[in-house]
Amino acid sequence: MGNKKTKLHYYPGCTLKEKTTNLDDTTYAVMDLLGYELIEPENWTCCGAEFPLTEEKIVGLAAPVRILRQVKLEGGNKVFTVCSFCFNVLKRANEAMVTDPLKHKRINAFLKDDITIDRVTGDKTTGFPEYNGDVSVLHLLEFIRDEVGYEKIRALIKRDLGKVKVVPYYGCRLLRPKGKIGIDKPDDPSIFEEFLENIGCEVIDFPFKQECCGSYLSLSMPDAASEASYNVLRSAKLNGADVLALSCPLCYYNLDRRQDRIKEKFPEFHEMPVLFFTQLLAWALGVDEEILGLDQHFCDPRSVLGIDKSGVEI
Amino acid sequence: MRIKLKFEENEKKFIDRVNELSGENVYSCYQCGNCSSGCPFVFEMDILPNQIIRLVQMGREEELIGSKALFLCASCFTCQSRCPKGINIANVAEAVRHLIEPKGKDYFGPQEIPAELADELPQQALVAVYRKFSK
Ligand code: SF4
Ligand code: SF4
Repeated sequence: MGNKKTKLHYYPGCTLKEKTTNLDDTTYAVMDLLGYELIEPENWTCCGAEFPLTEEKIVGLAAPVRILRQVKLEGGNKVFTVCSFCFNVLKRANEAMVTDPLKHKRINAFLKDDITIDRVTGDKTTGFPEYNGDVSVLHLLEFIRDEVGYEKIRALIKRDLGKVKVVPYYGCRLLRPKGKIGIDKPDDPSIFEEFLENIGCEVIDFPFKQECCGSYLSLSMPDAASEASYNVLRSAKLNGADVLALSCPLCYYNLDRRQDRIKEKFPEFHEMPVLFFTQLLAWALGVDEEILGLDQHFCDPRSVLGIDKSGVEI
Repeated sequence: MRIKLKFEENEKKFIDRVNELSGENVYSCYQCGNCSSGCPFVFEMDILPNQIIRLVQMGREEELIGSKALFLCASCFTCQSRCPKGINIANVAEAVRHLIEPKGKDYFGPQEIPAELADELPQQALVAVYRKFSK
């Protein structure tokens, strides 16, 4: 007992170490308070962001399978992510290793000859074992529901979020493709709502919670993406939300950082704060404001958390 | 009007290649339109998601060349979750893009990113868009 923490593998993904450090920092802070010591798999790389959808592109599975193999080699049997994209890619890559013999054979043949070099001794290792899909990939929302338990969370709450009206925004990658992801029912999910209720938010339902925010089209078709993002934020506002909660750094980019461009295209647009679910949880658990990284946001979310501009809780 | 009941060799080959690459069976689509009614990007598309499937079913490769719709698919899988036949149009669109993209040319490459945006773009968006739209 005492203060001994449980070790747990965590795959952050590239965006969290650069553009959304607020998501990474709040994940570390809340997991520490929940009693976990996080281990990042050694030498992790980008997961590839997109699960390859055609046989032609299956080499894209090499990166996620290598990450999962590393977790296994380090003695882990599960790994969690907070980024919805990473979750989707790792989970599907893992599933492919179990259910698709051809992908299993081709990717393992490719990865067997990986070489690692010991930083100290310079010794080279090669001839890696096959990876058979035996690490379970979880999203933090799932891990909290199934392994931590909402009761434990409720017992640790330090701040009352009661007045905050929140819409849960799932987007695409937490729920779909149907039959491949399984964090919740793709047509009628409730895991995000349950999480928010248990940390003390007032949950507001809205019809755009599973709609796409524009995803990577914000680079290649920025106008189309702005319209998709506008539809989501407008619906949240019309349904009376103070803030939109999400888990994906790309949704955050489209729905928060691009609000200036949404406004350019739709002058009647009203700004709307967004927060990562880990920021809301961190705040509820009493984490200091600096850790939340609120100055990284385009639309300042301080007032919805009851903080005035100078950082004083009101 | 003349109705052709037999595919030409090249049409048949195109349909088979799309099915093979995507792992889907485009013949199973019965054109109900569920996919297009749920797609969040139809407002910008020149042809609808169900029409992408229809054109593949008919082996009409040339009519898919230059279609903007293929590059408006964000792989959100809304259509897949609603299709009564379980067809994944994002997979089909990816296969078609692969077959019709001009060889060796990116639809969207690093040179398209405006310099002033380079600092703010999340890594995952860059990786994803290149994975989708460049060689
Ligand atoms: S929903 Fe499925 S069956 Fe219906 S038109 Fe679209 S692809 Fe065809
Ligand atoms: S996966 Fe593509 S075609 Fe299907 S609903 Fe989403 S954007 Fe539309």
